[in-house]
Amino acid sequence: MYNPRDIINLISAHVRKSRNPFGIPSSQINTWWREAPGFTRRPGDALLVTGLMYQSIPYIEATTRYLERLEGSRWADYLRFGRLSRYIPSFVVGRGFACLTSKASMQQFNRILVSICRLLTQSSVDFFYHPEMDFYSGILLYDLGDQEGFVEHAKFVARTLKLHGVKKIITVDPHTTYALKELYPKYTGVSFEVQPYFALLRPHQVSRGNGRPPVAIHDPCFYGRYLKVSEGPRQLLSGLGLSYTEVRNCGEFTSCCGGPAESVSPALNREILDRRVAELKASGAPVVTFCPICLANLLKAGLPVEDLASLLDRSW
Amino acid sequence: MALVNPDFAEELKAFGVDTALECFNCGTCAAICPLIFEHFPRKMIRYVQVGATEKILQQAQELWRCLHCGLCTQTCPRQANPAELILGLRRYVVARWRRA
Ligand code: SF4
Ligand code: SF4
Repeated sequence: MYNPRDIINLISAHVRKSRNPFGIPSSQINTWWREAPGFTRRPGDALLVTGLMYQSIPYIEATTRYLERLEGSRWADYLRFGRLSRYIPSFVVGRGFACLTSKASMQQFNRILVSICRLLTQSSVDFFYHPEMDFYSGILLYDLGDQEGFVEHAKFVARTLKLHGVKKIITVDPHTTYALKELYPKYTGVSFEVQPYFALLRPHQVSRGNGRPPVAIHDPCFYGRYLKVSEGPRQLLSGLGLSYTEVRNCGEFTSCCGGPAESVSPALNREILDRRVAELKASGAPVVTFCPICLANLLKAGLPVEDLASLLDRSW
Repeated sequence: MALVNPDFAEELKAFGVDTALECFNCGTCAAICPLIFEHFPRKMIRYVQVGATEKILQQAQELWRCLHCGLCTQTCPRQANPAELILGLRRYVVARWRRA
């Protein structure tokens, strides 16, 4: 396990410097929109906010792969007790990114955002997207206990969005949704009307899903338990004639995939992940989920899994 | 000999922890917690109740094992909100680190 103090100091410094956890310009991470069809920068009723979560996964994956190897190696003690504990994570997160991140992985996650954009357009949702207004929410700082850092960043984001007249927000992942919907009003005093994208989709016809084998749903903790919106994706699947099966521990009682442990202990992450994978495998069905962290984690375990948006986009 | 800080639960209110005294130590949270780790999070909550500040600081790193998955809060029969308690303890420890 890495020293949380070092990880927090590092991420906190990066958010202060670049407004994202990686210390590199957000424009370098946020490129998905260049291939997205049919969005306008303005006017529009609601701002689409990705919170940079899907785009961040390839960077997180690359870092974790590296840290995971180190954590189990003979260097582990140096990492735990020595000066290297400060040096290694900052090396990996900072300079190491450019050479460790794979283009294929970036495209894979960018494509999910393109699908969400297409689904919103097809459902005639009045939205707009502006890359410069698509901020990281600061949720990792909050989760790690850096309250000061989180509040400073959240106030910056809330102030900027308010200044640009944003009132309604469409989100794409549970962590950003939770931050903007629950934490921002409490800690910045600014409230937006926040809805996850799937709550706005309207399938026009019962379609091609009929006859396909069912999918197993892995509910992310923040959608299932904290925000209690597990029903939305199920209704959409049913609306499209796609059948699904419930796994042991779902909805409000879903099991965590272990993703949040990744930044401090890849080994702990593996342990929790293996248990969830066993529950999902028992269903015998391919898995669908709707959180980039869960998706990346389950992919890492070699499960047949895809994002809800990709599945919906194919079946619409 | 461990020193106890009788005002600990009160001090933690500044970090958003105000439900520690609701806990009656049933252990449901520890039983359902996916970490399966030394009576976590119940153990930490008990330390808060008895004012064992030093114990928490000695074992501070364990707080970051928590996944913030919320299962403990979902199942706690006393609405003691253990997941938020752990998060509040992280805030407390981070503030201490920064002051040091
Ligand atoms: S489940 Fe609630 S009451 Fe029981 S030990 Fe945990 S925090 Fe305390
Ligand atoms: S929120 Fe933390 S303490 Fe509670 S069940 Fe999940 S991992 Fe365990």
